[in-house]
Amino acid sequence: MDYPDDSALLTRLLAGEQKAFRELVGTYQSAMRAVAFAIVGSRNADEVVQDAWLAVVRNLDSFQGRSSLKTWLLTITANTAKTRLKHNRREVLLDDLPGPHGSVGDERFAADGHWLLAPHAWHQDTPEALLTEGELRECLEKTLASLSELQGSVLLLRERQGLELDEICNLLQVSLSNVRVLLHRARLKVFATLEHFEETGQC
Amino acid sequence: MLSCKELVAHSSDYLDSQLNLRMRLAVRTHLAMCRNCRRFIRQMRLSQLVLRRLPQGQNAELDALAQRLAELRRQSS
Repeated sequence: MDYPDDSALLTRLLAGEQKAFRELVGTYQSAMRAVAFAIVGSRNADEVVQDAWLAVVRNLDSFQGRSSLKTWLLTITANTAKTRLKHNRREVLLDDLPGPHGSVGDERFAADGHWLLAPHAWHQDTPEALLTEGELRECLEKTLASLSELQGSVLLLRERQGLELDEICNLLQVSLSNVRVLLHRARLKVFATLEHFEETGQC
Repeated sequence: MLSCKELVAHSSDYLDSQLNLRMRLAVRTHLAMCRNCRRFIRQMRLSQLVLRRLPQGQNAELDALAQRLAELRRQSS
């Protein structure tokens, strides 16, 4: 097997060990939800993820280890979601819902392209220090919830799950240029929320 | 030369190594000279790390799911 980290876990999964399944769902459930969200939308995402997990258990014996477990799980999720859609997928929604704290828009720059309102230094400069503020965590959740399904999923798969951009394109069947646009806009909204919180101390 | 506004527009592609050599050099040159944009990029990276560390909750739900899947597996094998 090419993915040694997976092979120990796989042995335990095949034996039906509950702790192994807990590790598996703990590691991959949110990535699977993100894939399902992006393809079928929030209404059907939970059902798709459930079906995907059942398919995973059903097909565990035939998993060959030619890809990582992660890729295998996310591919099953994407396929389950696409089967649910059957007809052609929804149009890729590139329209951009406004974030609660905006973005980094044109108003931040002078006509010559220089910063007009440059970023200030933040009080905290490590993620741990920033996240000790419970209110900031809630505030970020709000911003994430404000993203469109596809945009939120792309952000989550990239930043939290560490997927490569081409993996995201393949799973969600979105072009690379669209993924780049979605990701960039999402990141600027998250940035704006952090910046707002650092400047005002509130959400 | 690249303006600050253009740098911000290309910042995600810079962070994801999606820029061609010429643009990458342009970004690096700009960053070497512009404190504001260095700070912006640093804060963008920090935002990425914050998202990665954001806790996720929903543990009880995952416990139940794991139990169901493990049972299913044991029944089928």
